[in-house]
Amino acid sequence: MPKHIVSGLKYLATIELKKKGLTQQKIADELEIDRSTVSHYLNGRNISFHCINVAETMTQLSSKDFLILTHSLFKNAEITQKIISICQSKVFKAEVLDTCIGCGLCVDLCLMQAINLEYLKANINSIKCCGCLLCQEGCPTNSIKVLEV
Amino acid sequence: MVVNTKEVTDKDFNIKRLAEELRNLSFKDHICIGCGICESSCPVSAITVGDMGAIIRNNSPQPKLVIDEHECVLCGICSGVCPADALTFSIANQPISEIPAYPKYNADVEIDDDKCIYCQKCEIACPREAITIARSLPDRSKLVTGEIEIAEDTCVYCGICEELCPADAIDVDRTPEAETINVDKDKCVYCLVCKKSCPVTAIKASCRICSYGDYDINLEDAVTKGSSFIDDELCIKCGWCEGVCPTEAVKVKKPFEGLLKIHQDKCTACGTCVDICPCDVLSFPKPAKSGDIVDNVAKEEQYCIKCGACARACPVEAIEVQISNVDYIPTKSKSWSEKFEALKN
Repeated sequence: MPKHIVSGLKYLATIELKKKGLTQQKIADELEIDRSTVSHYLNGRNISFHCINVAETMTQLSSKDFLILTHSLFKNAEITQKIISICQSKVFKAEVLDTCIGCGLCVDLCLMQAINLEYLKANINSIKCCGCLLCQEGCPTNSIKVLEV
Repeated sequence: MVVNTKEVTDKDFNIKRLAEELRNLSFKDHICIGCGICESSCPVSAITVGDMGAIIRNNSPQPKLVIDEHECVLCGICSGVCPADALTFSIANQPISEIPAYPKYNADVEIDDDKCIYCQKCEIACPREAITIARSLPDRSKLVTGEIEIAEDTCVYCGICEELCPADAIDVDRTPEAETINVDKDKCVYCLVCKKSCPVTAIKASCRICSYGDYDINLEDAVTKGSSFIDDELCIKCGWCEGVCPTEAVKVKKPFEGLLKIHQDKCTACGTCVDICPCDVLSFPKPAKSGDIVDNVAKEEQYCIKCGACARACPVEAIEVQISNVDYIPTKSKSWSEKFEALKN
Protein backbone atom coordinates (compact mmCIF):
# COMPACT_ATOMS: atom_id res chain seq x y z
CA MET A 1 0.00 0.00 0.00
CA PRO A 2 2.70 2.62 0.87
CA LYS A 3 4.27 1.81 -2.51
CA HIS A 4 1.05 2.79 -4.24
CA ILE A 5 0.93 6.13 -2.46
CA VAL A 6 4.55 6.72 -3.48
CA SER A 7 3.48 6.08 -7.08
CA GLY A 8 0.56 8.47 -6.64
CA LEU A 9 2.90 11.21 -5.40
CA LYS A 10 5.31 10.60 -8.27
CA TYR A 11 2.36 10.77 -10.65
CA LEU A 12 1.35 14.18 -9.27
CA ALA A 13 4.94 15.38 -9.50
CA THR A 14 5.18 14.14 -13.09
CA ILE A 15 2.09 16.14 -14.06
CA GLU A 16 3.49 19.28 -12.37
CA LEU A 17 6.85 18.94 -14.09
CA LYS A 18 5.19 18.41 -17.45
CA LYS A 19 3.23 21.66 -16.90
CA LYS A 20 6.60 23.37 -16.42
CA GLY A 21 7.62 22.08 -19.82
CA LEU A 22 10.18 19.42 -18.87
CA THR A 23 10.82 16.60 -21.32
CA GLN A 24 9.87 13.04 -20.35
CA GLN A 25 13.55 12.11 -19.95
CA LYS A 26 14.22 15.11 -17.66
CA ILE A 27 11.17 14.21 -15.55
CA ALA A 28 12.36 10.61 -15.32
CA ASP A 29 15.84 11.71 -14.19
CA GLU A 30 14.42 14.16 -11.68
CA LEU A 31 12.07 11.62 -10.04
CA GLU A 32 14.41 8.66 -10.43
CA ILE A 33 11.94 6.59 -12.46
CA ASP A 34 12.00 5.02 -15.94
CA ARG A 35 11.17 7.21 -18.90
CA SER A 36 8.50 4.66 -19.92
CA THR A 37 6.84 5.07 -16.51
CA VAL A 38 6.69 8.82 -17.11
CA SER A 39 5.08 8.15 -20.45
CA HIS A 40 2.52 5.82 -18.82
CA TYR A 41 1.71 8.41 -16.12
CA LEU A 42 1.22 11.15 -18.70
CA ASN A 43 -1.08 8.89 -20.75
CA GLY A 44 -3.14 8.00 -17.70
CA ARG A 45 -2.12 4.36 -17.60
CA ASN A 46 -0.73 1.94 -15.01
CA ILE A 47 -1.93 3.75 -11.91
CA SER A 48 -5.26 3.56 -10.11
CA PHE A 49 -7.29 6.68 -9.43
CA HIS A 50 -7.47 5.64 -5.81
CA CYS A 51 -3.70 6.09 -5.43
CA ILE A 52 -3.91 9.51 -7.04
CA ASN A 53 -6.79 10.49 -4.75
CA VAL A 54 -4.81 9.53 -1.62
CA ALA A 55 -1.77 11.41 -2.90
CA GLU A 56 -3.90 14.47 -3.68
CA THR A 57 -5.43 14.34 -0.21
CA MET A 58 -1.92 14.34 1.24
CA THR A 59 -1.01 17.52 -0.61
CA GLN A 60 -4.02 19.22 0.99
CA LEU A 61 -2.90 18.38 4.54
CA SER A 62 -0.98 20.90 6.61
CA SER A 63 2.58 21.40 5.37
CA LYS A 64 3.97 19.57 8.40
CA ASP A 65 1.74 16.49 7.94
CA PHE A 66 2.39 16.37 4.19
CA LEU A 67 6.14 16.58 4.78
CA ILE A 68 6.36 14.01 7.58
CA LEU A 69 4.08 11.53 5.77
CA THR A 70 6.05 11.91 2.56
CA HIS A 71 9.34 11.47 4.39
CA SER A 72 8.08 8.35 6.14
CA LEU A 73 6.97 6.89 2.80
CA PHE A 74 10.16 7.61 0.86
CA LYS A 75 12.61 7.27 3.79
CA ASN A 76 14.97 9.47 1.80
CA ALA A 77 15.54 13.18 2.39
CA GLU A 78 16.53 14.10 -1.15
CA ILE A 79 13.50 12.70 -2.99
CA THR A 80 11.19 13.92 -0.20
CA GLN A 81 12.51 17.45 -0.75
CA LYS A 82 11.84 17.15 -4.50
CA ILE A 83 8.29 15.82 -4.12
CA ILE A 84 7.37 18.49 -1.56
CA SER A 85 8.80 21.38 -3.54
CA ILE A 86 7.15 20.19 -6.76
CA CYS A 87 3.71 19.35 -5.33
CA GLN A 88 3.31 22.20 -2.88
CA SER A 89 2.23 25.53 -4.29
CA LYS A 90 2.22 27.61 -1.07
CA VAL A 91 5.02 30.16 -0.56
CA PHE A 92 6.51 30.92 2.84
CA LYS A 93 8.69 33.65 4.20
CA ALA A 94 10.72 33.06 7.33
CA GLU A 95 12.08 35.70 9.65
CA VAL A 96 14.83 35.01 12.18
CA LEU A 97 15.14 37.38 15.14
CA ASP A 98 18.40 38.62 16.63
CA THR A 99 17.68 36.50 19.69
CA CYS A 100 18.86 33.47 17.68
CA ILE A 101 21.78 31.88 19.55
CA GLY A 102 23.03 29.81 16.64
CA CYS A 103 22.44 26.45 18.29
CA GLY A 104 21.74 24.87 14.91
CA LEU A 105 18.81 22.83 16.19
CA CYS A 106 16.63 24.15 13.33
CA VAL A 107 19.33 23.17 10.82
CA ASP A 108 19.19 19.62 12.15
CA LEU A 109 15.39 19.56 12.37
CA CYS A 110 14.68 20.86 8.86
CA LEU A 111 13.82 17.97 6.57
CA MET A 112 13.96 20.32 3.58
CA GLN A 113 17.58 21.32 4.32
CA ALA A 114 16.45 24.91 3.93
CA ILE A 115 18.45 26.30 6.89
CA ASN A 116 22.09 27.10 7.43
CA LEU A 117 23.92 29.17 10.03
CA GLU A 118 25.54 32.44 9.07
CA TYR A 119 27.54 34.16 11.81
CA LEU A 120 25.66 32.24 14.51
CA LYS A 121 22.27 33.14 13.08
CA ALA A 122 19.90 30.85 11.24
CA ASN A 123 19.37 31.72 7.61
CA ILE A 124 16.21 30.22 6.11
CA ASN A 125 15.95 29.75 2.36
CA SER A 126 12.38 30.78 1.52
CA ILE A 127 12.42 28.89 -1.78
CA LYS A 128 13.22 25.59 -0.06
CA CYS A 129 11.04 26.25 3.01
CA CYS A 130 7.81 24.23 2.94
CA GLY A 131 6.24 25.91 5.96
CA CYS A 132 6.18 22.81 8.16
CA LEU A 133 7.10 24.92 11.21
CA LEU A 134 9.31 22.17 12.66
CA CYS A 135 12.05 24.78 13.15
CA GLN A 136 9.71 27.32 14.73
CA GLU A 137 8.35 24.72 17.15
CA GLY A 138 11.83 23.42 18.06
CA CYS A 139 13.58 26.78 18.45
CA PRO A 140 14.69 27.14 22.09
CA THR A 141 14.57 30.94 21.97
CA ASN A 142 11.40 31.43 19.84
CA SER A 143 13.45 33.30 17.30
CA ILE A 144 11.82 31.93 14.14
CA LYS A 145 8.65 33.23 12.57
CA VAL A 146 7.43 31.44 9.42
CA LEU A 147 4.53 33.09 7.56
CA GLU A 148 2.64 32.12 4.42
CA VAL A 149 2.76 34.80 1.73
CA MET B 1 14.41 12.67 15.32
CA VAL B 2 17.19 14.84 16.62
CA VAL B 3 18.44 13.64 20.00
CA ASN B 4 21.41 14.37 22.23
CA THR B 5 23.57 11.66 23.70
CA LYS B 6 25.59 11.92 26.89
CA GLU B 7 28.73 10.02 27.80
CA VAL B 8 29.84 10.26 31.41
CA THR B 9 33.36 9.40 32.59
CA ASP B 10 33.81 9.86 36.36
CA LYS B 11 32.88 13.51 36.90
CA ASP B 12 33.48 14.52 33.27
CA PHE B 13 31.01 14.25 30.45
CA ASN B 14 30.39 14.81 26.75
CA ILE B 15 27.02 15.82 25.29
CA LYS B 16 26.74 15.21 21.56
CA ARG B 17 24.32 15.82 18.71
CA LEU B 18 25.12 14.25 15.39
CA ALA B 19 23.06 15.51 12.47
CA GLU B 20 24.35 17.99 9.89
CA GLU B 21 27.60 18.26 11.86
CA LEU B 22 28.82 16.71 15.09
CA ARG B 23 28.30 19.12 17.95
CA ASN B 24 30.07 18.20 21.17
CA LEU B 25 30.07 19.87 24.57
CA SER B 26 32.72 18.49 26.84
CA PHE B 27 33.07 19.16 30.58
CA LYS B 28 36.22 18.68 32.63
CA ASP B 29 35.48 18.71 36.33
CA HIS B 30 39.04 19.26 37.56
CA ILE B 31 39.25 22.51 35.59
CA CYS B 32 35.83 23.86 36.68
CA ILE B 33 36.04 26.63 39.30
CA GLY B 34 32.32 26.57 40.15
CA CYS B 35 31.76 30.26 39.35
CA GLY B 36 28.26 29.64 37.99
CA ILE B 37 28.69 31.89 34.94
CA CYS B 38 27.58 29.04 32.65
CA GLU B 39 24.50 28.41 34.77
CA SER B 40 23.31 32.01 34.54
CA SER B 41 24.18 32.33 30.83
CA CYS B 42 22.48 29.14 29.59
CA PRO B 43 19.54 30.20 27.38
CA VAL B 44 17.58 27.02 28.16
CA SER B 45 18.42 26.69 31.88
CA ALA B 46 19.94 23.26 31.32
CA ILE B 47 22.90 23.77 33.70
CA THR B 48 22.95 23.32 37.45
CA VAL B 49 26.11 24.12 39.36
CA GLY B 50 26.39 22.16 42.58
CA ASP B 51 26.93 23.39 46.11
CA MET B 52 30.59 24.26 45.66
CA GLY B 53 31.33 24.66 49.36
CA ALA B 54 30.23 21.11 50.14
CA ILE B 55 31.81 19.65 46.99
CA ILE B 56 35.26 21.17 47.59
CA ARG B 57 35.39 20.69 51.35
CA ASN B 58 34.17 17.08 51.37
CA ASN B 59 36.13 16.07 48.27
CA SER B 60 32.73 14.97 47.01
CA PRO B 61 32.32 12.31 44.31
CA GLN B 62 29.65 14.57 42.75
CA PRO B 63 30.58 16.63 39.71
CA LYS B 64 30.67 20.40 40.10
CA LEU B 65 28.03 20.87 37.45
CA VAL B 66 25.29 18.88 35.81
CA ILE B 67 23.81 19.53 32.38
CA ASP B 68 20.44 18.05 31.44
CA GLU B 69 21.20 16.62 28.01
CA HIS B 70 17.50 16.66 27.09
CA GLU B 71 17.28 20.42 27.71
CA CYS B 72 20.66 21.33 26.23
CA VAL B 73 20.45 22.60 22.64
CA LEU B 74 24.23 22.55 22.14
CA CYS B 75 24.53 26.25 21.36
CA GLY B 76 27.95 26.51 23.02
CA ILE B 77 27.30 29.72 24.96
CA CYS B 78 28.39 28.09 28.25
CA SER B 79 31.70 27.20 26.68
CA GLY B 80 32.13 30.70 25.28
CA VAL B 81 31.58 32.42 28.63
CA CYS B 82 33.43 29.87 30.84
CA PRO B 83 36.42 31.80 32.23
CA ALA B 84 38.25 28.56 33.04
CA ASP B 85 37.78 26.59 29.82
CA ALA B 86 36.20 23.75 31.78
CA LEU B 87 33.50 23.53 29.11
CA THR B 88 34.73 23.05 25.57
CA PHE B 89 32.30 23.19 22.70
CA SER B 90 33.34 21.92 19.30
CA ILE B 91 31.69 21.62 15.91
CA ALA B 92 32.99 18.83 13.67
CA ASN B 93 35.82 18.40 16.19
CA GLN B 94 36.93 22.03 15.91
CA PRO B 95 36.72 23.99 19.17
CA ILE B 96 34.73 27.21 18.84
CA SER B 97 37.73 29.18 20.14
CA GLU B 98 39.22 28.46 16.71
CA ILE B 99 36.05 29.34 14.75
CA PRO B 100 35.97 33.10 13.92
CA ALA B 101 32.15 33.34 14.01
CA TYR B 102 32.20 32.74 17.78
CA PRO B 103 33.09 35.55 20.19
CA LYS B 104 35.74 34.84 22.80
CA TYR B 105 37.52 36.46 25.73
CA ASN B 106 40.60 38.56 25.22
CA ALA B 107 42.72 36.74 27.76
CA ASP B 108 46.32 35.73 27.53
CA VAL B 109 49.42 34.84 29.49
CA GLU B 110 52.94 34.85 28.18
CA ILE B 111 56.41 34.30 29.63
CA ASP B 112 59.17 36.10 27.76
CA ASP B 113 62.02 33.61 27.57
CA ASP B 114 64.50 36.42 26.92
CA LYS B 115 63.70 38.00 30.27
CA CYS B 116 63.04 34.82 32.30
CA ILE B 117 65.84 33.85 34.70
CA TYR B 118 64.21 30.52 35.58
CA CYS B 119 63.89 31.36 39.27
CA GLN B 120 60.69 29.26 39.40
CA LYS B 121 58.90 31.82 41.60
CA CYS B 122 55.89 31.73 39.25
CA GLU B 123 55.79 27.94 39.31
CA ILE B 124 55.64 27.99 43.10
CA ALA B 125 53.10 30.83 43.27
CA CYS B 126 50.68 29.48 40.62
CA PRO B 127 47.52 28.41 42.47
CA ARG B 128 46.57 25.99 39.66
CA GLU B 129 50.01 24.39 39.21
CA ALA B 130 49.78 25.37 35.56
CA ILE B 131 53.42 26.50 35.16
CA THR B 132 56.46 24.31 34.72
CA ILE B 133 59.90 25.91 34.60
CA ALA B 134 62.54 23.44 33.50
CA ARG B 135 66.12 24.58 34.05
CA SER B 136 69.65 23.29 33.72
CA LEU B 137 72.18 24.80 36.11
CA PRO B 138 75.70 25.80 35.13
CA ASP B 139 78.48 23.31 35.71
CA ARG B 140 79.73 24.04 39.21
CA SER B 141 83.28 22.94 38.42
CA LYS B 142 83.49 25.71 35.83
CA LEU B 143 82.53 28.40 38.35
CA VAL B 144 85.26 27.62 40.89
CA THR B 145 88.61 26.27 39.77
CA GLY B 146 91.73 25.43 41.62
CA GLU B 147 94.13 22.68 42.46
CA ILE B 148 94.11 20.06 45.17
CA GLU B 149 96.52 17.27 45.86
CA ILE B 150 96.86 14.84 48.76
CA ALA B 151 100.24 13.39 49.70
CA GLU B 152 99.22 9.80 50.43
CA ASP B 153 102.57 9.01 52.09
CA THR B 154 101.89 11.70 54.69
CA CYS B 155 98.09 11.18 55.04
CA VAL B 156 97.03 9.19 58.08
CA TYR B 157 93.43 8.68 56.86
CA CYS B 158 91.97 10.29 59.97
CA GLY B 159 88.84 11.34 58.03
CA ILE B 160 88.74 14.86 59.50
CA CYS B 161 88.76 16.43 56.02
CA GLU B 162 85.91 14.16 54.90
CA GLU B 163 83.77 15.16 57.89
CA LEU B 164 84.46 18.85 57.45
CA CYS B 165 84.16 19.09 53.65
CA PRO B 166 81.04 21.24 52.94
CA ALA B 167 80.79 19.93 49.38
CA ASP B 168 80.98 16.20 50.14
CA ALA B 169 83.92 16.04 47.76
CA ILE B 170 86.26 13.86 49.87
CA ASP B 171 85.86 10.15 50.34
CA VAL B 172 88.12 8.39 52.90
CA ASP B 173 88.08 4.61 53.24
CA ARG B 174 89.51 3.86 56.67
CA THR B 175 89.67 0.03 56.44
CA PRO B 176 92.97 -0.96 58.17
CA GLU B 177 95.75 -1.79 55.71
CA ALA B 178 93.46 -0.89 52.77
CA GLU B 179 92.97 2.83 53.40
CA THR B 180 92.31 5.17 50.48
CA ILE B 181 91.47 8.85 50.05
CA ASN B 182 89.83 10.37 46.99
CA VAL B 183 88.82 13.91 46.04
CA ASP B 184 86.01 14.44 43.55
CA LYS B 185 87.25 17.52 41.66
CA ASP B 186 83.78 18.14 40.15
CA LYS B 187 82.39 18.67 43.63
CA CYS B 188 85.37 20.46 45.26
CA VAL B 189 84.87 24.22 45.61
CA TYR B 190 88.45 24.90 46.75
CA CYS B 191 87.40 26.39 50.07
CA LEU B 192 90.58 25.03 51.61
CA VAL B 193 88.88 23.86 54.81
CA CYS B 194 90.53 20.43 54.37
CA LYS B 195 93.96 21.95 53.94
CA LYS B 196 93.61 24.13 57.03
CA SER B 197 92.26 21.32 59.21
CA CYS B 198 94.64 18.52 58.17
CA PRO B 199 96.66 17.59 61.33
CA VAL B 200 99.57 16.23 59.26
CA THR B 201 99.64 18.86 56.50
CA ALA B 202 99.08 16.22 53.81
CA ILE B 203 96.82 18.41 51.64
CA LYS B 204 98.06 20.97 49.19
CA ALA B 205 95.29 23.09 47.69
CA SER B 206 94.81 26.52 46.16
CA CYS B 207 91.91 28.43 44.75
CA ARG B 208 92.29 30.19 41.41
CA ILE B 209 89.41 32.58 42.09
CA CYS B 210 91.33 33.92 45.12
CA SER B 211 94.27 34.69 42.85
CA TYR B 212 92.55 35.83 39.68
CA GLY B 213 89.14 36.96 40.96
CA ASP B 214 86.01 36.91 38.83
CA TYR B 215 88.02 37.44 35.66
CA ASP B 216 88.80 33.76 35.68
CA ILE B 217 85.16 32.82 34.99
CA ASN B 218 83.78 32.57 31.51
CA LEU B 219 80.46 34.42 31.85
CA GLU B 220 78.71 32.02 29.48
CA ASP B 221 79.56 29.13 31.78
CA ALA B 222 77.70 30.81 34.63
CA VAL B 223 74.29 31.05 32.92
CA THR B 224 71.30 28.95 33.98
CA LYS B 225 69.41 27.79 30.91
CA GLY B 226 65.83 26.61 30.78
CA SER B 227 62.36 26.77 29.32
CA SER B 228 58.91 27.69 30.53
CA PHE B 229 55.63 25.93 29.93
CA ILE B 230 52.12 27.11 30.75
CA ASP B 231 49.27 24.61 30.69
CA ASP B 232 46.61 26.70 28.92
CA GLU B 233 43.88 24.38 30.10
CA LEU B 234 44.67 24.90 33.80
CA CYS B 235 45.78 28.55 33.65
CA ILE B 236 43.09 30.91 34.90
CA LYS B 237 44.91 34.20 34.22
CA CYS B 238 44.95 35.27 37.89
CA GLY B 239 48.26 37.09 37.54
CA TRP B 240 50.22 35.55 40.43
CA CYS B 241 53.03 34.69 38.02
CA GLU B 242 53.22 38.29 36.82
CA GLY B 243 53.04 39.59 40.38
CA VAL B 244 55.92 37.52 41.74
CA CYS B 245 58.20 37.67 38.69
CA PRO B 246 61.39 39.60 39.61
CA THR B 247 62.27 40.35 35.98
CA GLU B 248 58.88 41.36 34.54
CA ALA B 249 59.04 38.44 32.16
CA VAL B 250 55.36 37.53 32.54
CA LYS B 251 52.42 39.37 31.06
CA VAL B 252 48.87 38.37 31.96
CA LYS B 253 45.75 39.72 30.27
CA LYS B 254 42.59 39.16 32.31
CA PRO B 255 39.15 39.11 30.67
CA PHE B 256 37.22 40.79 33.53
CA GLU B 257 37.69 44.08 35.37
CA GLY B 258 35.73 44.85 38.48
CA LEU B 259 35.59 44.89 42.24
CA LEU B 260 35.71 42.36 45.04
CA LYS B 261 33.99 43.57 48.19
CA ILE B 262 33.99 41.74 51.50
CA HIS B 263 31.48 42.82 54.11
CA GLN B 264 33.45 42.06 57.25
CA ASP B 265 30.37 42.76 59.42
CA LYS B 266 28.39 39.97 57.75
CA CYS B 267 31.30 37.51 57.44
CA THR B 268 31.28 34.61 59.90
CA ALA B 269 34.81 33.48 58.98
CA CYS B 270 33.54 30.06 57.91
CA GLY B 271 36.29 29.91 55.29
CA THR B 272 34.21 28.59 52.40
CA CYS B 273 35.42 31.40 50.14
CA VAL B 274 39.04 30.76 51.16
CA ASP B 275 38.69 27.11 50.15
CA ILE B 276 36.85 27.85 46.91
CA CYS B 277 38.84 30.75 45.43
CA PRO B 278 40.72 29.33 42.43
CA CYS B 279 43.24 32.18 42.57
CA ASP B 280 44.39 32.06 46.21
CA VAL B 281 43.11 35.60 46.65
CA LEU B 282 41.35 35.10 49.98
CA SER B 283 42.95 34.13 53.28
CA PHE B 284 42.55 34.41 57.03
CA PRO B 285 44.78 37.26 58.15
CA LYS B 286 47.22 36.68 60.99
CA PRO B 287 47.44 39.41 63.65
CA ALA B 288 50.81 41.17 63.74
CA LYS B 289 50.96 40.69 67.50
CA SER B 290 48.82 38.84 69.98
CA GLY B 291 45.62 40.71 70.82
CA ASP B 292 45.43 42.69 67.56
CA ILE B 293 42.02 42.62 65.93
CA VAL B 294 42.13 41.71 62.25
CA ASP B 295 39.56 41.36 59.47
CA ASN B 296 37.70 38.07 59.18
CA VAL B 297 38.91 37.50 55.65
CA ALA B 298 41.73 39.26 53.82
CA LYS B 299 42.07 39.67 50.05
CA GLU B 300 44.86 40.14 47.54
CA GLU B 301 42.60 41.76 45.00
CA GLN B 302 45.28 42.19 42.33
CA TYR B 303 45.09 38.43 41.73
CA CYS B 304 41.25 38.23 41.68
CA ILE B 305 39.69 37.32 38.32
CA LYS B 306 36.18 38.48 39.40
CA CYS B 307 34.71 35.08 38.60
CA GLY B 308 32.30 35.34 41.51
CA ALA B 309 32.76 31.77 42.77
CA CYS B 310 33.31 33.06 46.34
CA ALA B 311 30.21 35.27 46.30
CA ARG B 312 28.12 32.41 44.94
CA ALA B 313 29.30 30.02 47.66
CA CYS B 314 29.22 32.42 50.62
CA PRO B 315 26.38 31.24 52.89
CA VAL B 316 25.78 34.69 54.41
CA GLU B 317 26.14 36.92 51.34
CA ALA B 318 29.15 38.68 52.78
CA ILE B 319 30.94 38.89 49.43
CA GLU B 320 30.05 41.00 46.40
CA VAL B 321 31.82 40.65 43.09
CA GLN B 322 31.18 43.29 40.47
CA ILE B 323 32.27 43.00 36.87
CA SER B 324 32.55 46.43 35.29
CA ASN B 325 34.17 45.46 32.01
CA VAL B 326 34.36 42.30 29.94
CA ASP B 327 37.12 42.18 27.36
CA TYR B 328 35.99 40.00 24.49
CA ILE B 329 36.16 39.91 20.72
CA PRO B 330 32.58 40.41 19.51
CA THR B 331 31.23 38.97 16.28
CA LYS B 332 28.09 39.66 14.26
CA SER B 333 25.91 37.59 16.61
CA LYS B 334 23.85 39.97 18.76
CA SER B 335 22.56 37.27 21.09
CA TRP B 336 26.10 36.08 21.90
CA SER B 337 27.33 39.64 22.46
CA GLU B 338 24.38 40.18 24.80
CA LYS B 339 25.44 37.14 26.82
CA PHE B 340 28.96 38.55 27.23
CA GLU B 341 27.59 42.00 28.07
CA ALA B 342 25.20 40.49 30.60
CA LEU B 343 28.17 39.35 32.72
CA LYS B 344 28.57 42.98 33.83
CA ASN B 345 26.64 43.80 36.96
